[in-house]
Amino acid sequence: MTPLLSLRHVSKTFGSGPRAVRAVRDVSFDVSRGECLAVVGESGSGKTTLANMILGVFGQSSGEIRFDGRALPSRRTLEHRSAIQLVQQNPLSSLNPKRSVGASIRLGLDVFGIGRRSDRWRLVENALEEVGLPGDFRRRAPAALSGGQCQRVAIARALACQPRLVILDEPTSALDVLVQARVLRLLDGLRRTKGLSYVFITHDLSVVRNVADRVAVFRSGELVECAETGAIFENPRADYTRRLIGAVPVITDHELKLRESLSGGLPA
Amino acid sequence: MSAVLEIRDLHLRFRGHSGVSEVLHGVSLDIRAGERVALVGESGSGKSVTARIVLGLLQELPYAEVSGGLFLEGADLNRLSRRQWQGLRGTSISMIFQDPTSSLNPVFTIGAQFAEVLRRRDPGLPRGAADERAGALLRSVSIHDHARVLDAYPFQLSGGMNQRVVIAMALANHPSLLIADEPGTALDVTVQAQTLKLMHDLVERSGTAVLFISHNLGVVREFADRVFVIYRGRIVERGPTAAIFEAPGHAYTRALMAAVPRITGGGPPEPNDGETAFLDPMVVHEGGGA
Repeated sequence: MTPLLSLRHVSKTFGSGPRAVRAVRDVSFDVSRGECLAVVGESGSGKTTLANMILGVFGQSSGEIRFDGRALPSRRTLEHRSAIQLVQQNPLSSLNPKRSVGASIRLGLDVFGIGRRSDRWRLVENALEEVGLPGDFRRRAPAALSGGQCQRVAIARALACQPRLVILDEPTSALDVLVQARVLRLLDGLRRTKGLSYVFITHDLSVVRNVADRVAVFRSGELVECAETGAIFENPRADYTRRLIGAVPVITDHELKLRESLSGGLPA
Repeated sequence: MSAVLEIRDLHLRFRGHSGVSEVLHGVSLDIRAGERVALVGESGSGKSVTARIVLGLLQELPYAEVSGGLFLEGADLNRLSRRQWQGLRGTSISMIFQDPTSSLNPVFTIGAQFAEVLRRRDPGLPRGAADERAGALLRSVSIHDHARVLDAYPFQLSGGMNQRVVIAMALANHPSLLIADEPGTALDVTVQAQTLKLMHDLVERSGTAVLFISHNLGVVREFADRVFVIYRGRIVERGPTAAIFEAPGHAYTRALMAAVPRITGGGPPEPNDGETAFLDPMVVHEGGGA
């Protein structure tokens, strides 16, 4: 079966001449249907540039991005735009503060023509209920919600557009650990019940370990290593991956042993 | 051994349009010389306001009501005038904030900011001598091209570099207490790990007491000698780091730990929702002089 998303030799360069920034360099990977691929790396590694190219915010400088077997055009159709959705890091700033939560969710339905007009408020309420919020939350303003509730709304907004691929850009980094745990479980459950694919961008390797099927490690725009999650954590090949795992703060002796066995001999 | 910092039954209320909200409900905490004490909790639990009260910053706000005992090396801070309290900041008590780049002034060079810090202890210090001392301090945080760094503006340096600068500045005047509020949270994991280790070694060598504020249990486990867990303005558990992590006694501490994803795997963590038990009385682990 063809993968849902496929990148081949994708590069992105900003600017030109001696001051050009090569943000993404010759990157190739696939995301299968129903798969969660984690994209890991530190700031400046090209994670968000990658997300923006997949979303069509800007085009790649070279290479090809294929979705469902066909090359994605630089000008995306409505169909592509609804099929690939984004959930951002900061839930409060990713929602329009002047719109009610419901209006933000409904906007996608109106733009993409999802459902009958008379049906759309009901769809909005369904989307909210799917993420564990009461349907009447649609009348609330984003400012009246907690961080965790906002992030649920952002997820509901993405899901209401009936996507096949969701790009999660640090979806839980701004949340408290108890809230993060609930949102991670929610995302995991939604992926399984709806057969979604995720590109899960994060710098938090302990989250990756528990939600991703495969992991792509980036550094300075290059793909350093891409393998199944178990292999990355049990037998990382690249020194950089070992170093990343070695820097993860852990809370149990069991984890400490694993971390030390992997990062042994490398400088912190 | 006497306490460097002692907080006794600290209460904080904010008066607002919609009435009074109680933020701290009797927080007590002590830190001895050379000890690293962590205050752990979620956003809104009262961690940062506690730090701001120790610095005397919240007391200056007209809508904040603060009560409770505050002692620095035995001296009653509540008896200080506003001016005297101000004199402690940057000399006896210093602070490191979450985002190093935004806690430095963008329109002055690192050298100028260093001189300002050093002159708090030593008012007439000429710039040349200040630069010399700043250079030595930067070497102690493993910055070797200190001439370039002193001439640079914060935005010309990386986040990790700025973090080291901020650590060096915080320790420049040999404070007896260092307050670190989520240091390095804004940085990459590898840089965060390096700077925490650096800070750990420096405070150990200088014998500075540290109040370490964090929401990250993993970081706390690696950095602190003792831990205070705070939930909604109340300390719910306290004790030596090893004891708390081996056998968390309070329902809230247990819930926090259960929610942390493990690098050994096991799927997304399952948070236990026993929120009513989060208000149970404090659990105290003896040992470590707690």
